[in-house]
Amino acid sequence: MDTKPFIQVQDLVYCYPDGTKALNGINLEVGLGEMMALIGQNGSGKTTLSKCLNGLFKPTEGDVIVDGLNSRDTSIVQMVKRVGYVFQNPDHQLFNNNCWDEIAYGPRNIELPEEEVKERVAEAAQVVGLDEGYFTEHPFFLSKGLRQRVAIASILALRPRVIIVDEPTTGQDKYQSIEIMNFLKGLNEEHGHTIIIITHDMPIVAAYAKRVVAMGTGRILADDAPDKVFSQPDVLAKTFLEPPQITQLAHRARLLGFDQGVLTVGEMKEEFDRLMPR
Amino acid sequence: MNKTLLGYVPDESPIYAIHPFVKLFFLLIVSLFPLFIQAPEWNLLIFFVVIILMAISKVNMSVMKIYVPVAISMGTIILISYTILGGIHPEFYEWFRVFGRPIYWERVRDALVVYCRILPMIATMVFFLSTSRERDIIVAMRSIKIPFVVTYVFAMALRSAGMVLEDFQIVRQAEQARGFTTAGKSLIFKIRQYVMYMIPLFALSLRRSEEFTNALVARGYAFTGEAAKVKRADFVLTHYKFGTSDIIMTTVILGLFIALLVFRFAFGSFGLDTSWITILFSPYK
Amino acid sequence: MEIIQLKDYSWTYLNTSGPALKEINLTINEGEFVGIIGPNGAGKTTLAYSMNGLIPGQYHGIKKGEVVVFGKEVEVHERGALQRKVGMVFSDPEAQFTAMTVEDELVFGMENIGMTIPEIRERLDWVTDLTELGPLLNKPPYELSGGQKQRVALGAVLAMSPDVLILDEPTSMLDPISRTRVFNVLEKTKKEKNNTVIVIEHSLERLVPLADRLILLHDGQVILDGPPREFFKEMALLVEKGIEAPGVISFFHQLIEEGYAQGELPLTVDEAAERLDEVFANLNKKA
Repeated sequence: MDTKPFIQVQDLVYCYPDGTKALNGINLEVGLGEMMALIGQNGSGKTTLSKCLNGLFKPTEGDVIVDGLNSRDTSIVQMVKRVGYVFQNPDHQLFNNNCWDEIAYGPRNIELPEEEVKERVAEAAQVVGLDEGYFTEHPFFLSKGLRQRVAIASILALRPRVIIVDEPTTGQDKYQSIEIMNFLKGLNEEHGHTIIIITHDMPIVAAYAKRVVAMGTGRILADDAPDKVFSQPDVLAKTFLEPPQITQLAHRARLLGFDQGVLTVGEMKEEFDRLMPR
Repeated sequence: MNKTLLGYVPDESPIYAIHPFVKLFFLLIVSLFPLFIQAPEWNLLIFFVVIILMAISKVNMSVMKIYVPVAISMGTIILISYTILGGIHPEFYEWFRVFGRPIYWERVRDALVVYCRILPMIATMVFFLSTSRERDIIVAMRSIKIPFVVTYVFAMALRSAGMVLEDFQIVRQAEQARGFTTAGKSLIFKIRQYVMYMIPLFALSLRRSEEFTNALVARGYAFTGEAAKVKRADFVLTHYKFGTSDIIMTTVILGLFIALLVFRFAFGSFGLDTSWITILFSPYK
Repeated sequence: MEIIQLKDYSWTYLNTSGPALKEINLTINEGEFVGIIGPNGAGKTTLAYSMNGLIPGQYHGIKKGEVVVFGKEVEVHERGALQRKVGMVFSDPEAQFTAMTVEDELVFGMENIGMTIPEIRERLDWVTDLTELGPLLNKPPYELSGGQKQRVALGAVLAMSPDVLILDEPTSMLDPISRTRVFNVLEKTKKEKNNTVIVIEHSLERLVPLADRLILLHDGQVILDGPPREFFKEMALLVEKGIEAPGVISFFHQLIEEGYAQGELPLTVDEAAERLDEVFANLNKKA
């Protein structure tokens, strides 16, 4: 098998104009159809890495290769057709005064014929579950959840294979978080997009991510399935993150035999039933 | 390194020892000097003195390179508007012709005078902004007893400008992330698209202004009524002592200004007739 | 002593279809640490703003019923007077930072209430110590992280020594470390000053051990109100209303329901770990 991964990051170093090193030698491979969480403290380099992946930032050293294209030699326009990035605050990316034009903004920028633009807008709106009735509404007045969906639809309209979503559940309550995560999961499982979520929400990571990449001070500290990453307290300590509360309890109950990779209350209960003295 | 309004100044700079009031005083008074000086060589002298002061204050001089193209284009525009676009003036001395337009000595001289007046004024402003942090400006204003509301509005404007600039960067990136590019497009297109930036920036500002007002109210700030009449203790001023060196510097600046006025009006110095430019270049000998 | 009383209080924002709060009856007593939880849109922020006079002071709408704070209706207090007694910390760290350095921000509120320079100096030292902001005093807002800005906001309000402190989702935009630090400050405040604190939050794990009382707000009404250990007994109701209980509480709720554990629900990982050891010890004895 010689299929190269869709994204290859090789020895990536990125320095900001004022000299601070945000990324200090990143090596990463991302394939198609992955569901990945990028976690780490503020300042660990998660956002910087994401912006290197979609071409907004060019590497200071090292290479980022997406779909065979090296980001140094490729225009941002070509890069964003392959890697979409949804900003944390939908207000930063509302450029039009109605939702339809907003979703059409991307396809129009890449100069698609109007027929295809219409097709893509309809498709994207349908995938995010945006009712046609909202097409003429001004995005500013919609609820945060709807604005987020419009933002995601407008990225989907460019049909990138990889979608990076920055903090999808921050500020959302439980139902809203589940809704947006289920939707992203659907994008991943039914439509084959690679989804990378940047988040601090450990329970969400535990519940939805199939792969966790933990960053700290510009390096990757761990890259594995969630149960493996969360069962290594020393690795997590370096990222200054805490695993979900229930996982912490499992860690404390190690001597009782509890699996250290417990991620949910359900799993904890299963372990209890298994270990319970009779 | 500390960030000032226009750049960075290292911690060891002598500028921190000076009371912000003196910096403001320097800006206001020295900016007036060129108004009373016609002779270009004197204005150029002021310009170079200010540059030297900037270097002594350890301002990052490589940043000044940004201003060179600006200075050159500004000078060119002034020269062109005074000469080629300056109209027909038979009473002036015609030096030579360019594109059939007459170039007059008086016009060239006047262009030079204006340019040399503007240079030190801009330099003084750049010096002030490069060595002042936001807090310095506010302290300077409070120390001359400008009403609190004025200084606070000013401070809030500075704060908002900072927030808008941060947003602007993110908005630009968000646009690029949606495939937006100005490469190979017409100028009109570019201008129109830049106007579009306003929409998200405006939306963000609107949302923030509500929270900002709430925050002010939550800090006990009262705009009107009894609560507004409280005597404010300007705590920030406790950090800045107006010392002997400050007094000396203020006196020196004021003294120079008075001397300038005296020489200008009593003795006619700094005028064009005695200027080197007239002596060296005037065709009327 | 009752500090805040809401009697049959309803509030409808202008140009909206229904009331945001529906006939709320609620009393907050002096010294209580209250947590208000509920899904987005339940009316938590509206409730918070009603308690410090921002509603109806800054917002247009229709008010019914009474909101009495310190013995007077909110509108009856003089302009600015109530806000000095009831401090508020908002969720957006960016929009709350009104000055150009940390120290200026901490001092702003104190200047507004007319404190003298020696008083300010003393209070500033206390609040800087409490919030661990010492090294950051001269920094401008653009050099601070969101978490640091929130600690400044908290410090700025605490410096005014309000009798009541209301925090509207103070950590929702913060990362876990910053969240911990904000709650550490709240914990210290609770021990040192014992003033009345009302916190609105989604993230319950840190809130629950500190709260004396939890209130569930849903669709503009108070559905549940009680101390944490009682509150979480109503697990089915909480799940229905979209509340996710902290993991250890959910887990032990199941254990207690199935008879493996007895007694009260644990509120922290430490407590839960001890209790789990006990449960196993008991089961081992029986086996």
